[in-house]
Amino acid sequence: MARTKIVLAGEGGHGVQSIAKILVEAGYAANKKVLYIPNFGVEQRGGVSIAFCQIADEEIGEPRFSKGDIVIMLSDRAIDRCSMYVDENSVVVYDSSICHNKPEVKAKETIGIPANQIANDEISARVFNIIILGVVIQATGVLEMDYVKDAMIAALGKKFESNPELREMNFKALEKGVELIKAKASV
Amino acid sequence: MVKKLITEDTKLFMTGNEVIAYAAIAAGAEFMYGYPITPQNEVMHTWCKLQPKTEAGFLQTEDEISAGFSTLGGILAGKKAFTATAGPGNVIMQDAMSMAEMMRIPFVCTVLQRGGPSTATVIYSQQETTLTCFGGNGEGYRIVYSTAGHQDLYDYTIKAFNTAWKYKFPTFVLADGYQGKMREPFIAYDPESRGIEMIPATPSLRGEGMVGVDRKAVHMRNTFNMEEELMEVLDSFEEDFNRIAPEIEEYQEYRADDADILIIAHGIVARSACTAIDELRAKGIKAGLFRPITLRPLPVEPLRKAVSRSKQILFAESANGQMARLILEKIYGLTTPYQTLYKMGVGITGGDIVEKVEQMDGAIACR
Repeated sequence: MARTKIVLAGEGGHGVQSIAKILVEAGYAANKKVLYIPNFGVEQRGGVSIAFCQIADEEIGEPRFSKGDIVIMLSDRAIDRCSMYVDENSVVVYDSSICHNKPEVKAKETIGIPANQIANDEISARVFNIIILGVVIQATGVLEMDYVKDAMIAALGKKFESNPELREMNFKALEKGVELIKAKASV
Repeated sequence: MVKKLITEDTKLFMTGNEVIAYAAIAAGAEFMYGYPITPQNEVMHTWCKLQPKTEAGFLQTEDEISAGFSTLGGILAGKKAFTATAGPGNVIMQDAMSMAEMMRIPFVCTVLQRGGPSTATVIYSQQETTLTCFGGNGEGYRIVYSTAGHQDLYDYTIKAFNTAWKYKFPTFVLADGYQGKMREPFIAYDPESRGIEMIPATPSLRGEGMVGVDRKAVHMRNTFNMEEELMEVLDSFEEDFNRIAPEIEEYQEYRADDADILIIAHGIVARSACTAIDELRAKGIKAGLFRPITLRPLPVEPLRKAVSRSKQILFAESANGQMARLILEKIYGLTTPYQTLYKMGVGITGGDIVEKVEQMDGAIACR
């Protein structure tokens, strides 16, 4: 597809904007046309935080779009706010370990992933958002993974240097996200 | 003199607020005054982050009233100074902006529109259109460029300084929270490499030499004794503004030549309109765009021509008709029917415009 429209929505503090930045930096490095708009309220934590990302082969016109090709919903409130960006061509991914209800949307596919629980149980709560990044990359196929890894290193490199364990955790999380989509876990 | 950051064409990928700071440096701006308000904070942050390299000056004031007047002070002293604000900050800075109109001070301000009224949202809107064009207790002797993305932000921030210093009317770059916060690539350049000669700043007051011997005395007034005295000055402003308007007016048309339905939109909404127009044309609907780049002064003649040759108009904006009101006054007498797509403080997508234009087109077909 010439243009991939991605909506990432979670609670403030989930790290939605951080992974959106990595995603578009990777797209830019891959010589794609990219456009990213963050959308959040006045609060530092809490409230719904949404990132609208576009990765395309051609120049991007509209900065905001009506429907996403992939819509990620990481909380109940995110489901409420972002169901409007879903149509029959959208893939919806929600976190089944955070959300109490499955999104009631007419999507092409709705995938539940317990990413938060997996992060807590298997890696660390800190890398929850990176699992989601892996999910987005695998589900859209929009970018080569190498660009994403480089962008992640560029964004988090300083933290990795001071704490090498963090580097390993993030890469593990990215891989986990990819695996979850490959396995279509707990649909 | 500030030190240049960009000496050759460089592709950069950053937020619009960062673009504004880089552009101001490229324009030779020496000093920024400001007070934090989302979504313009990163203009200040970036300006300060670049200070070790640029050696430019910065002062964070106690509020926007002070930021506005400090900017005026810096300019009067002969510095190429500017400020940036948004939302409620734009409201309380109007006093200083009015003074810039009255005293013909080359004030430059970038406005990143957020939702209103009052605190509302920190995200986005086109609801500061009226305020930026006509705020203050005067007639709106201001020049306002409405940008539609990062290349525009770079180009028009540079241009705003030259416009302000050439014509001595306060000049605004009207953007919005989307443009401020979003990331997209653009080309940064040294204005000289494009043949753009930046007008140097000169002191308005306390110039060199002795008054009456080396130079004339400077009277900059914002207080008048007599009603007629004021009107005399304002009449001359009106004459100046109308005379220079054709040199300043800018607009963009997209597939507008043979358009049956003409979408009129400014800023970032015009970009959504372009996406919509391509989709509509593919479906056989002849849609086109007229985008005023200068909202003050409006490009009246090209606008009237474009409106005259279309069958219907659609005003699309993220406000309740603030741009449309400016335009309707200027197209008085034309009978082209119009419809509106207003979303107050909310982004307009290509899809929104396609849907609306399809309805309008259906109505033509049914007649």
